[in-house]
Amino acid sequence: MIRFENVSKSYGDSLILNNLSFEIQKGEFAVLIGPSGCGKTTSLKTINRLIEPNQGKIYVDGKDISETDRIELRRSIGYVIQQIGLFPNMTVEQNICVVPKLLKYSKEEMSKIVHEMLELVNMPYEDYAHKYPSELSGGQQQRIGVLRALAASPPIVLMDEPFGALDPMTRTILQDEVRNLQKKLGKTIVFVTHDMDEALNMADKIIFMDQGNILQMATPDEMLENPADELIASFMGKRGKDSELPSLSAADFLRADVRTTYINSGVRESIDKMARRRVDTLIVKNQDETYVGTLSISKIKKEGKDHKTIEPLVNLNNSTCYIDEDAPVCLDRLLHGDDSYIVVLNRDNTIAGMITKTSMAKALADAVWGDSL
Amino acid sequence: MSNFLSLYADRMIKAIGTHFLYVIASVSIAFVVAVFLGILLSRKPSWATVVIPLLSVFQTIPGIVFIGVLFLYLGMVPATVLIALSIYAIFPILKNTYVGIIEVPTQYKEAAKGCGMSPIQVLCRVELPLALPSIIGGLRISTVYTVSWAVLAAMIGLGGLGELIYAGVSSNNNALIFAGAIPAAIMAILFSAVIDLVRKKLIPKPLRGDGK
Repeated sequence: MIRFENVSKSYGDSLILNNLSFEIQKGEFAVLIGPSGCGKTTSLKTINRLIEPNQGKIYVDGKDISETDRIELRRSIGYVIQQIGLFPNMTVEQNICVVPKLLKYSKEEMSKIVHEMLELVNMPYEDYAHKYPSELSGGQQQRIGVLRALAASPPIVLMDEPFGALDPMTRTILQDEVRNLQKKLGKTIVFVTHDMDEALNMADKIIFMDQGNILQMATPDEMLENPADELIASFMGKRGKDSELPSLSAADFLRADVRTTYINSGVRESIDKMARRRVDTLIVKNQDETYVGTLSISKIKKEGKDHKTIEPLVNLNNSTCYIDEDAPVCLDRLLHGDDSYIVVLNRDNTIAGMITKTSMAKALADAVWGDSL
Repeated sequence: MSNFLSLYADRMIKAIGTHFLYVIASVSIAFVVAVFLGILLSRKPSWATVVIPLLSVFQTIPGIVFIGVLFLYLGMVPATVLIALSIYAIFPILKNTYVGIIEVPTQYKEAAKGCGMSPIQVLCRVELPLALPSIIGGLRISTVYTVSWAVLAAMIGLGGLGELIYAGVSSNNNALIFAGAIPAAIMAILFSAVIDLVRKKLIPKPLRGDGK
């Protein structure tokens, strides 16, 4: 739908856009984000030719936009700016009809559009159509700003930090409204913001820019999981998967009262030990207390008769982790691996304990609700 | 009083008519020229920094001197008065037009451009409407001033209310002075009121604000 090919822009010596190439698909909600001066707004404005790149081509719908008439182009692309920019000398109705009027729609068509548009945002025609922008709240004004961009049903809408000036409440509401509108109407939206929450909340695709370059282009999930750069991670702040929890390591999840046995102990002896302790697994260690593997009762049942010592029966491949490793890593192994528990080792390879699903659940509950449980 | 009126009523009516025509004609000419120039200057603000101070210096030349000089070249014809009055009336309108347009916040111009308006459309649909309060303010100043400057027409024998005033002054006839001065004052107030009405009609409430 929108394709950048090696687009560069500089003012004098300062390079604003550095050889950008990317593509935004039809129906996609793409968010351009980055620190101020990263080139996100410049990129946006090159799409409706408010800014002309020095080099490179931009294609909209397969057509090179430098060859389309810029006024026609702008009429076919919706545009919402940060300061809202509703014309104060026009009523709500007139503002919504700016582009349809430029495109010489008939009176009936325009009146139909205004009714439909106001209905989309639940602002009754009778109450609002003839008001002036200054008579509306900030949130209502920006709703009309969005409607103005949508009025002539452009397939593409550009939004330049449209909610920057709104209070957080209104902002969230409008984010949801715009997201719903976009889905409902199937628009391709390019949205500039410096607010990562906003980006994660709205985007299908986030394009993270810095100093005229794209650092990463990914879905919100991907970006959360694998931020490609320190800067991106810092933008997301504590918004990682564990953001709600204090940072936890394996130590917080383990149970230390594990049953162990030495590698050279006999099969019989081990069965006894399991019976006495009422467990189905023993953790096997060397004479120097370092970890070897695990021994399960089912394995003994199957092959135990043929051996004297447990050595050949030990499973050497059970998942392990170190006690100071980050909890999410360990939990991931537990939840997505084949083993029903993870052995936790100290850094000297002695056994610290194990994490089972039960111990994990308990530790998580403690972390969330405190130690009261 | 009735005696006075029977003596001077005809003269007064004629003087008021002439005076009124001078004001209407010269302000109309000035308005067209000034708005046009104001728009031109707003396209080239670098010129404005030269032109506007120049004009404001010109504005300080006393009207009486200017009319006198024009009279030498053009003679005793109404054109002399109209040209002089128009030139004086241009400046307030020109300046307010220029400033009004220049001060339209960028966000509106950018939004207009982004919506796909051509430069002319941006001017006619956004810039001029938003500058209108300022332009009308300039029009009011020009009109009220022109009412008083038009008195100078009598100086070169071209009638208007000034004729009564000059006659009154030279014949020491206070009644005659008032017969010229009071209608001039009333005319200024009436013009001002009419412009107010126009302003109310043309400018939507939120843009009016208070004051001028």
